[in-house]
Amino acid sequence: MAQNTAEDMGYNEEILLEKLHNIQESYSYIPENEIDNLAQKFDMPRAKLYGVIKFYSMFYTEPTGKYVIRVCDSLSCHINNSKKLLNDIREYLDIDDGETTEDKKFTLEVVECLGYCGEGPVMMVNDEVYTHLTPGMALKILKNCV
Amino acid sequence: MLEENFLMGEQLLDPADYDFPALKKAFNMDREEVIQEIKDSGLKGRGGAGFPTGLKWELGYKEKSDEKYMICNADEGEPGTFKDRYLMENRPLLVIEGIITAAYAVNAQKGFIYIRGEYFDSIKIIDKLIDNMYKENVLGQDILGSDFSFDLRLVKGAGAYVCGDETSLLNSIEGKRGASRIKPPYPIQKGLFEQPTVVNNVETLSSAARIIAEGASLYSAMGSKNSRGTKLVCLSGDINEPGVYEVEFGAQTIKEIIEQDGKGIKGGSDLRFVVPGGVSTAVLDKSEIDIPYTYEDLEKAGSSLGSGAIIAVGQEHDLVDLMLNVSRFFMDETCGTCFPCREGNRQINRILRKYKATFSIQEKEIIQDVGETIRLAARCGLGQSSLNFINSIMEKYEDELGIKEVLEV
Repeated sequence: MAQNTAEDMGYNEEILLEKLHNIQESYSYIPENEIDNLAQKFDMPRAKLYGVIKFYSMFYTEPTGKYVIRVCDSLSCHINNSKKLLNDIREYLDIDDGETTEDKKFTLEVVECLGYCGEGPVMMVNDEVYTHLTPGMALKILKNCV
Repeated sequence: MLEENFLMGEQLLDPADYDFPALKKAFNMDREEVIQEIKDSGLKGRGGAGFPTGLKWELGYKEKSDEKYMICNADEGEPGTFKDRYLMENRPLLVIEGIITAAYAVNAQKGFIYIRGEYFDSIKIIDKLIDNMYKENVLGQDILGSDFSFDLRLVKGAGAYVCGDETSLLNSIEGKRGASRIKPPYPIQKGLFEQPTVVNNVETLSSAARIIAEGASLYSAMGSKNSRGTKLVCLSGDINEPGVYEVEFGAQTIKEIIEQDGKGIKGGSDLRFVVPGGVSTAVLDKSEIDIPYTYEDLEKAGSSLGSGAIIAVGQEHDLVDLMLNVSRFFMDETCGTCFPCREGNRQINRILRKYKATFSIQEKEIIQDVGETIRLAARCGLGQSSLNFINSIMEKYEDELGIKEVLEV
């Protein structure tokens, strides 16, 4: 009889990365108590677990803003003036790369290639991608984030 | 330009509307025959390294083990590259058909597709498709009435370019830091959870599915002696019509690809150089791009086809600014395990940052020296190729950079 999902087939390797994504989706970051739980579950020293979490730029151990703004500055976007875009966003939000606004609304990140190189410059607002941006368009998008 | 695309085409999203021609054909063939077909096609790995796919499958097939893994590397991250995203968003059925075909050929019972975490759309599409394919019995037990069973699971990356290196990717799935492993043992012998593991790129697997469906001879009739078939190229930079294009190897020069497919350089500006395979490859001056687009011709020109990312760069950009940009990329993305790569890329970035009007020859030599050390010491492709862009710019544009001899260092 055909099985319906990988889990039904007993495909049960515990994938730490998956757990971390799930936790972050619930809390928007990975809180300490969850790290304790995972350390037990995966029989890993907490320090090692932190080492894993900190390796990946999309995992956070502190709460981020409601909107995580990722602006690509890799070569193709850079050639299409992502620098100007970035400076205007920086100025508008009044924060630097990696920082969160005081009202906890925005976190800004300058990131490497997002894979929209033909449509640069690009930014992501949480999981939404915006392409062919001018600074004016980008600020309008940010103003519409409520 | 290709008269008829081999890999690109209309959307293939719904398993109910798709016939799985490659799978149906493969399941009626012996595993050795499937592997031979891929060997005959001349297909090479499209992730950047260009390893012959048929040979990889053969090595995987010959490994004796109760458990083997088939992994699709969808951690596309080389700046300038977006072809795998095109395939996952538009032709995901081909991608997964390719994974299952490969799994059948090497006799792997379990597999993963590792998609970079930033590709939210690809993740959504593939996630839903895997569910649907279980329902349609194209995944799971006794696939399509054959005696072959295979399970596929999606793992999301979390923002680490280095995980595109296959050994780093394995560590990442195992829940470790995505640092590279020492080879040997190669993943084929001892990969995921210490089991034999075959890792192939998205475009490679999609091509393999098409090759099995259409026959190797159609594919190998295209291209040149050492570069068979077609390749997806990603055009970006100062280009009028950027995007993904499918080209037949050797049918066009790089210049023609830029002019015919990309419709030339933006704003009537002048081309200065081309990055022919992503920022891990050496640049080619505009005087060097009149060469056929093949693995061998790019190699002869001192560069590489890499991932298929062709970035056109016009005259108006500041060379040091571009070098700094690429330098920062490698400084940020090194996994830090091999210290020449971790510290070397940092030092090179520091030298570039303090560049004023001129570079001294000594500084150029230091960069070359550190670069060579990284290349020799790094155990993965990231470090080995991290200086290709910067070194080639320094070589080719010595005068513009004002590199000259100064007495005091």
